[in-house]
Amino acid sequence: MKGLIKNNFYATLSGAKTLSIVMILTGAFIVAVISQTLLIAYIILGIIGFSETALAIVRDECSSKWGKYKLTLPVRRADIIKSQFLNQLLWTLVGTLFAVTATALSWILHGCPYDHPIDIVTTFVLGISISLFMGAVFFPLFYANGEERGSIFIGLSLVCAFVFDYAIVSLINYFIEPGLRNILLGILILLASSILAFALSCPLTIRIFKRKEW
Amino acid sequence: MENILELENISKSFPKSNFLLDKLSFSLPYGTILGFVGENGAGKTTTIGCILNTVIKDSGTVRLFGQEMQDRDTTLREKIGVVYDGDNFPGFWTAKQLSQVMRGFYRHWDNTLFQKYLTDFGLPEKQQIKHFSRGMTMKLAIAAALSHHPQLLVLDEATSGLDPVVRDEMLDVFLDFVQEENHSILLSSHITSDLEKVADYIAFIHNGRLVLTASKDDLIYHYAVLRCKESQFQTIDRADMIAFRKRDFQIDVLVPDGKEARKKYKDIVADHVSIDEIMLLLVKGEQI
Repeated sequence: MKGLIKNNFYATLSGAKTLSIVMILTGAFIVAVISQTLLIAYIILGIIGFSETALAIVRDECSSKWGKYKLTLPVRRADIIKSQFLNQLLWTLVGTLFAVTATALSWILHGCPYDHPIDIVTTFVLGISISLFMGAVFFPLFYANGEERGSIFIGLSLVCAFVFDYAIVSLINYFIEPGLRNILLGILILLASSILAFALSCPLTIRIFKRKEW
Repeated sequence: MENILELENISKSFPKSNFLLDKLSFSLPYGTILGFVGENGAGKTTTIGCILNTVIKDSGTVRLFGQEMQDRDTTLREKIGVVYDGDNFPGFWTAKQLSQVMRGFYRHWDNTLFQKYLTDFGLPEKQQIKHFSRGMTMKLAIAAALSHHPQLLVLDEATSGLDPVVRDEMLDVFLDFVQEENHSILLSSHITSDLEKVADYIAFIHNGRLVLTASKDDLIYHYAVLRCKESQFQTIDRADMIAFRKRDFQIDVLVPDGKEARKKYKDIVADHVSIDEIMLLLVKGEQI
């Protein structure tokens, strides 16, 4: 497992370096100006961006011989998948850290960047939830349908994640009355449903991957 | 236990391409090199896939070190080194990163040995693999395959596309590897000259079927090809033939015992046969 984690980390790092530079530059701009809309976009896109980089690496690995080579290494197929889910989580966390830093700096310099402080939590949960749903859809879809359509599946999983989040938020708004307590409940429901989807997707992907041939 | 690798009636079908690997059986003894020969699409890579579990076989048994390898048998895979043709590793890695990753996979990863191979092969440690030439990429793959002290090397077209100098260098590494009596190599290739140089046994595969397995010495010193006319061909006992190929004015007949054939068919010219020619006769000719 150690080798797999190192492999995923090095692989994602090469793509994430460029994204990190973009995030630092845009982050500096967003911290300098006072714009709630820009900050929301930065948080959500930052989290999703790093998460998507982790998925792109899975696609790239499978289109080279390395995907096949890995199966000959002393690792179990289930561990290969688990390490990829773990990597997705790790890079979602990296994106979250970038977003937390920008939000904290903005708050220090200009005061609370939102109308209501709870909205900060909502934005972060939305970003994390989209990332998790994206991984939950991408992995089984990718391994079940072939690596040659990897880019399409990344796009498709992003769309699906947005749709899932939109549907869940709409349902929460429909059934739960407004109010701080209920907003917190809504946030919990959104986060829990995406974590559940991500957690269920892992054994499903392992099942698919065990029959995968190269 | 005499064989490091045993295949027994391995079958695998690909209905979409109508390809069938048909009940393949062969074995690789300890301390030897088995050349696995066949034309492109004959089934070499599929067979190797069945051995390494990258392809899921329909039926049959593969025994490595005397046992069937399951997905959970990671200890068994520690003893195997693999080299595929082409880009074995991600191009954005350096040799140094490769070593760090491999150390995480193999308990017996020997960084000193890996560094030695890098020096011997003239490979830079800090350059990204995507900037390597093809020869350098293959050398790196071989270095990585050897640096965890495997007992079995599985090489799938590992020498194809390399210039003769690099190929010769690699073949020397392989010969050095099998000096240890518990080491063996399965070398799949269609470059028969490489196999003539290093292989102890040769297995020919054609259209998913194993058509001939023999020791290299047997093939070179005992097998022969009879050059005959149509009338002479009619006199040859079919039990003496393995395969024949009709050409414009001549029929070439592959026989397993050249000495015996020379005695029996005195008026027919019997030549020594190269592995290349055996492959052509088996693939393009008619098998008996």
